[in-house]
Amino acid sequence: MTGIRVEGLSKTYRRGLAGERVRALVDVTLTIAPGEAFGIIGPNGAGKTTFLGCLLGFLRPDAGRITIDGRAPDDLAVRAATGYLPERLVLDRWMTGDEFLAYHHALARLPAASRRAEVEAALERVGLAGEAGGRAIRRYSRGMLQRLGLAQAMLGRPRYLFLDEPASGVDPAGVVLFRRLLSELAHRGVTVILNSHQLDQVERVCDRVAFVKAGRVEAIETVAAGAAHARVLRVRVVVGASLPVTYERLTALAGEAGAALLDLNGAEARFTVADDAGAARLLEALIRAGVPVAEATPEESRLERLFLDSSPAGSPTEPTPGTT
Amino acid sequence: MNVTLITTLWRQRFTSAVRMALMAMLCGFPVLALAFVPGAGLSLLGNAQGLMLTLGAGMIGQDVSSGVLQLLCARPVKRSDYVLSRWLGVALAGTAISLLQLAIGAALLTARGAAPSAQQIVLFGAGRLLECGGIAAVLALCSSLIGGFGDLALYLLASLGAGILQMAGQVKHWLWLDRFAAELLGSLTPGIDLQRLVAASPMPWFPIVSYASTVTLCLALAIVMVNRKELSYASG
Repeated sequence: MTGIRVEGLSKTYRRGLAGERVRALVDVTLTIAPGEAFGIIGPNGAGKTTFLGCLLGFLRPDAGRITIDGRAPDDLAVRAATGYLPERLVLDRWMTGDEFLAYHHALARLPAASRRAEVEAALERVGLAGEAGGRAIRRYSRGMLQRLGLAQAMLGRPRYLFLDEPASGVDPAGVVLFRRLLSELAHRGVTVILNSHQLDQVERVCDRVAFVKAGRVEAIETVAAGAAHARVLRVRVVVGASLPVTYERLTALAGEAGAALLDLNGAEARFTVADDAGAARLLEALIRAGVPVAEATPEESRLERLFLDSSPAGSPTEPTPGTT
Repeated sequence: MNVTLITTLWRQRFTSAVRMALMAMLCGFPVLALAFVPGAGLSLLGNAQGLMLTLGAGMIGQDVSSGVLQLLCARPVKRSDYVLSRWLGVALAGTAISLLQLAIGAALLTARGAAPSAQQIVLFGAGRLLECGGIAAVLALCSSLIGGFGDLALYLLASLGAGILQMAGQVKHWLWLDRFAAELLGSLTPGIDLQRLVAASPMPWFPIVSYASTVTLCLALAIVMVNRKELSYASG
């Protein structure tokens, strides 16, 4: 297994009557190692879905090359090892949930002998066992559809799992379930490619993340590297504590710990720290000085910080028609 | 060919109440007529065009426009297999219904003391088989060109257009236009007149070659069209 290799990938669409060219992907080059959980994030219209479409062989690139385990993405051997959950999930509404999974089990060329058991196990895994599995898909809620879609994608233990906004429309319990399942898959050595706007989910599941903007991969970061980025730490002190917490005192303490006080608003202060170690030093300094710290939380997740860094002034880029 | 795709298509088609009602009407009325019209023969059962349009409409386009095809193509299924399975599924379903209609019709005629000969029954059944295969191939091509049930509109428009051209050719005495329209109409309902074929000596090869080439060409073009499709909403 050689994983996924993308070299010089470009894709252009033609739009409108005048055939205006819209560049969806521009010279994308990256590799995804086998067993890696790889996230794709970026603003709307960045080209994420186009990239996923090319990886799955649904779209024909104008230039460049994609190989998955050394084969073309539309090679049947690759398809047999692939699971896919699309963002705009459309299922055969006339089927029941278990019929739908049995259908995809058969399409995936999995052995008929194990079909029933594997379908039941898949439904169980996503919390659709029992009555829900036998219900017509047209009666499913959005969250149930998404769960069924994930069950479908995981059929047959795929080696590559492509997930486009998997937790979209899912309730909080479902989000937790999805996160647990994705973590399990990642630990089992499945190569997970996750396109999601839910940055906390990407952060918890992925090893590396690509930031896509205007069709280009702006940066590829290991998620742990996010700790190296400066961030804002919000510290709340115990209200009514005997020690007076003044702006000057906090500024001095922050300076000693290599941090900086941004503002103090009642019982809450905001500091900038260099990284995780800087946050720990600041908290240590505050506690040693007797500041009654009640709570300390990073203002943004690491990926949020990376995401904002990749978008100037934290603003989303102008969506490019048809590229998401 | 993919058996899963064929059987799933059948289940989808035969669980649609509207489709079933239409097919029951299209097949039932000729059989009823056969039961009550004196001196009627199997020819009263007509052709399979209506049945095939009801059965085959949207056979590919529906999957494309709904987005189901994307998920299907993520599976180890060749797109050519998908097209051929759709064609075969519709053709076989149409043939099975036609044969059921034929069996009921033959039984009614027998009960009325006007039993058709074995040769008549075999030729009618084989003719329907070829007709169903031919129309299914044309519908597969139309369905690969346009989404949803647009194939039905495309087919009917082409039939109407050919009919108008034929009429114009006959009125103006333009033989070339008349012939062109007749060929176009023939291409929309590929079939072989087996009665004439069996009766002729030597056997004329033109209708056989013409039928086979029309079906092959339609299927080949449908496969090309489906292969060329970009299956991502991002492509618009």
